[in-house]
Amino acid sequence: MNLTVNGITHGVDGRELATLLDVLREDIGVTGPKAGCHQGGCGACTVLVDGEPRRSCLLPAGYADGTEITTVEGLGTPEKLAPIQQAFVHHYAAQCGFCTSGMMLAAHAYIDRGGTDDHDAIQQALGGHVCRCTGYSKIIDAVAAAARGDSFDLTTTAVGKYTTMATGGGE
Amino acid sequence: MKVVGARIPRYDGVAHVTGRTTYVDDVSVPGTLWAKALRSPHHHAGITTLDTSKAEAMPGVRGVITWKDVPLLEYGHLSALGIPADEPLLAKDEVRYRGQPIALVAAESEELAAEAVDAIEVGFEERPALFDVREAFDSDAPKVHQWGNWYPHFEGEMDRRQIRKGDIERAFDEADTIVQGVYRPAAIEHAPIETQVCQVVPEANGRLTIYSCTQALYFSLGVVAAHLQVPLNRLKIVGGTTGGGFGGKVDTATETMACLLVLKANRPVKWRWTREEEFLCSSTRAPWHMELATAMTKDGWILGQKMLTLHDAGAYARFSPYGLTKHSFHHTGAYSIPNLHFDGYVVFTNRTPTTAMRGFGVTSVSFAVETHLSRVAKELGLDPIEIRMRNANRIGDTSPNGVAYTDPSTIDTLQAIADAIGHELPADYRTMTNEPRAGELLPEHLVAQVGSTEGH
Ligand code: FES
Ligand code: FES
Repeated sequence: MNLTVNGITHGVDGRELATLLDVLREDIGVTGPKAGCHQGGCGACTVLVDGEPRRSCLLPAGYADGTEITTVEGLGTPEKLAPIQQAFVHHYAAQCGFCTSGMMLAAHAYIDRGGTDDHDAIQQALGGHVCRCTGYSKIIDAVAAAARGDSFDLTTTAVGKYTTMATGGGE
Repeated sequence: MKVVGARIPRYDGVAHVTGRTTYVDDVSVPGTLWAKALRSPHHHAGITTLDTSKAEAMPGVRGVITWKDVPLLEYGHLSALGIPADEPLLAKDEVRYRGQPIALVAAESEELAAEAVDAIEVGFEERPALFDVREAFDSDAPKVHQWGNWYPHFEGEMDRRQIRKGDIERAFDEADTIVQGVYRPAAIEHAPIETQVCQVVPEANGRLTIYSCTQALYFSLGVVAAHLQVPLNRLKIVGGTTGGGFGGKVDTATETMACLLVLKANRPVKWRWTREEEFLCSSTRAPWHMELATAMTKDGWILGQKMLTLHDAGAYARFSPYGLTKHSFHHTGAYSIPNLHFDGYVVFTNRTPTTAMRGFGVTSVSFAVETHLSRVAKELGLDPIEIRMRNANRIGDTSPNGVAYTDPSTIDTLQAIADAIGHELPADYRTMTNEPRAGELLPEHLVAQVGSTEGH
């Protein structure tokens, strides 16, 4: 089978029945998608298959034969971050970072489909993505900001809804 | 100042959002074998037979370990402090919690390792199991631990952590009201999104390199070296970003057993727990049983407090004696109580061994004390915030273990809370500070409670 991952096509044989997650991580060496549960429950393994968010731990790799797969590595580089990546940095939406790539890919697809900054709609789009570091409000703020098309100053971080500490400092 | 008060971006933020942060599971070493554990299906049982020969003979299986392969089978998480060990790395003749590891297999693939685990022959003889800390505390409860059901090794070989302060009998004699309550917070699984995982690599120079998701790198290094009975310079431990820990990755869960498999197979080994294993047998926050009795005056002074705490260690002690000790030092919460009678026990049950989680030993007592104080305020018909402020710790007040506070923040915090929830405070409470007690706020019963802050 042929898997095109972030624009590069890989021929992988004999692994059609392995999960796409294992093939990406172990055969192709793309480790952005994480194994949080291997049973569809956490969203850490989410990748885009032809633009649609999919839990790669539930998908037989053969099912993705001939598709275009996007992982977090394909969103942007440290030098040229995609808007959703900038939003996550600026809004402090990644703590340990283990859920982050799945969260961002689901958010990226949501915004691509014309998603707005409506918090309920964002919650719906990120349903089933688990973050254990208590990051949900910051994650939702980040997705809303990216959906609005905000621009982000990465030398500082956003003031959240529950932040009362004055901004400033740095002098 | 560059940092205080400034909003600085995370040092690892860009790596997190580009997928470049390396977690243990992302470390890839050619020729790595997968590990899987045979775990106890019973909460409490004797092991009658254990035969790994069929598993060892399977093609693709490169090593199987049992208790016989561990140079030092029992080493406790607090052994370095001189506390006796109670937990075998791999179960020998008894299992005391469901999911306790009995044997470990290393094989060419994860699936093969799982099949080999199924091929291990093991016999059990089930024994009665206890899951409630209060029941396990009863003297006629079935015995679930080789030391009895109470941890017996506090200082002076006492079977409890006790605090006596002031004159508790007098406080209870002089009280207008005694308010009692029982508080029982349950176990909580940390549930990090990254399950327990390690990768161990044998190096050409004879060392083992351990990639670990631990929260306590050097602590784990000591634990591994002790079980393996090797000097520290045989081990190199590589930490990094933990995919969530919350206290649950303080225990050394995987590293030692993976090292033993590496020594057996002479190949790199990875052991990554499944989500099911994480829920089934990774350590949890402890369940607690706390009984409180508070001697109150009718105008809201706390004259004294009696407390009995049972800390559920689960099947083995691990860090529980330490957690209970912290608990005892904090058992008055944020309040100044001059007369105390505290008895705390670490109690064994057949639950998964418990461990640290965000404020080890202290969150339980905060829950109990705060819930209790609200109950006290209700019974006395007093304002719940004012009663807290009146009894709040002040500069110079002493903690249960006799440490004088230098800058306690109880009053500031309560004022901020009142503000945030729109709760009107009387003028003298609005302007109250943590300055040492005087006048009306230094009633006779609190005079001896003030210590010296010198030397802190
Ligand atoms: S690893 Fe796929 S949903 Fe959790
Ligand atoms: S940032 Fe740790 S799980 Fe989400």
